[in-house]
Amino acid sequence: MHMGAMTRRTALATAVAASLSLALSACSMDQMALPGTSSTSHDAMEAIYKSAPVAKPELILPGWTMETIKKRGKLVVASALDAPLVSQQNPANPQDVDGFDADLAKLLAIYILGKPEVEWVPSTAETREALLSNGTVDVVFGTYTITTKRAQQVSFAGPYFMSGLAVAVKSDNTTIKGAEDLASKNVIVQTGAPSVTRVPEKVPTAKLMPFATTPGSVQALVQGRGDAFVQDYVLLASQSSTNKDIKVVGAPFTEEPYGVGLKHGDAEFKTFVNTWLSTMQEQGIWSKVWKNTLGTVGDTPMPTPPAIGSVPGS
Amino acid sequence: MTMLILVTAGIGSIALGAIVTVARISPLQVLRSAAFLYVQFFVNVPLLALLILAVFALPAAGFILPLVPTIIIVLAVYEAAYVSEALRSGVNTVPQGQIEAARALGLTFGKSLRWVIVPQAFRSVIQPLGNIMIALVMNTSLAAVVGVIELTAHVNKINFDYAQPVLLYTTGGLIYMAIALTIGLLTGRLERKLVIAR
Repeated sequence: MHMGAMTRRTALATAVAASLSLALSACSMDQMALPGTSSTSHDAMEAIYKSAPVAKPELILPGWTMETIKKRGKLVVASALDAPLVSQQNPANPQDVDGFDADLAKLLAIYILGKPEVEWVPSTAETREALLSNGTVDVVFGTYTITTKRAQQVSFAGPYFMSGLAVAVKSDNTTIKGAEDLASKNVIVQTGAPSVTRVPEKVPTAKLMPFATTPGSVQALVQGRGDAFVQDYVLLASQSSTNKDIKVVGAPFTEEPYGVGLKHGDAEFKTFVNTWLSTMQEQGIWSKVWKNTLGTVGDTPMPTPPAIGSVPGS
Repeated sequence: MTMLILVTAGIGSIALGAIVTVARISPLQVLRSAAFLYVQFFVNVPLLALLILAVFALPAAGFILPLVPTIIIVLAVYEAAYVSEALRSGVNTVPQGQIEAARALGLTFGKSLRWVIVPQAFRSVIQPLGNIMIALVMNTSLAAVVGVIELTAHVNKINFDYAQPVLLYTTGGLIYMAIALTIGLLTGRLERKLVIAR
């Protein structure tokens, strides 16, 4: 009797474990096949790191944030870690994070420390401000849109990239041609992405369906749970380049200036990061990083880097 | 939306939980085993995994329901496993002699369940059922992950705009607490009213 119960339980546990591990391995396979993580792009980045500039010692004075980081020997960066081509963590090696934002963060680490030594802290839209204000991380580097409301809580260096939201629909959809066709439609957005607030501003009658992750949002769109998915145009280009079931329609309908989040009121560090960003643009490193990451998908022409301090809140 | 999910999933889970309990104490071995497997499955698989499976995997297999009903059904079948465990312990408080007496009076298994066992079982587990409903309040927040705008998703949205996580999530937490405390008070009252004097 006792043995019988044990065997039944074990059999059940085995079945559940088997199905779960199947599901899990399916997930990691998806991650492996993402663009921008190939070894060639890795080699190209290594070359960029070797030639990357390092700050002169007079820029790092005692008592400043930069000196604390230098003494510690690593830069602590908060980022989403699940955004292909922007900041994507390798599931097999958590220290290996690639993408436009991640590579820029490593270049900032080189600028301060002379080596790309970064400790990655996963962040979400709910935790970014707290991570900065309590000093858990030095910078937030991950599709962090500069807004005047946020600028009351944190300081922003940059902007370092001008993005915008675009609309993706299922490939066989011919009725939605852009943001203006979203009235009273079910619109999928990603929790913590700018679309959460921008879609209601642009189309007040749209019904929002927030999903937690980009793959989840794309899946929901493909399954027809929503009529459209509104997300950063670069991320959508990346998704539609690997997934033939969806397509991007219309041009980006907002401007999202991405900035580097810093502790509120740290003026020296802000000037320092802005100087570094200008150097990246002047030496053409910004363009090289873009070409290596966001520039690998779609046929988006190379954008011009935005002027530092050009948006309200920066 | 949180209240809608809570009330419908709560009623569904108690009804379904009662059926599972009856199956677990039925004279038929097949029903008993099925109910045992049901409870073991839902007690041992995380709710978030179930929600994600129901929202993304079931449509791939051809079943597609709108999001809110999907979430209500998943929460109801999940909590029903816990409800049935609580009810089963309630059934065990009904003295064996009463069941024998009911059968001796000529009541069938169904009738003795309906008139003798279930009413007493429910009365003795009001407080544990209340605790399961409180757990359900907290679990409704997981719906925010899969596209339903309930309380937590609202807080996420406001926070995205105002960047005030500590203030906003504390407020959200207080609202959940108020709902949970109300359920606790109600079940406490209900229990005092219905308690069986033995």
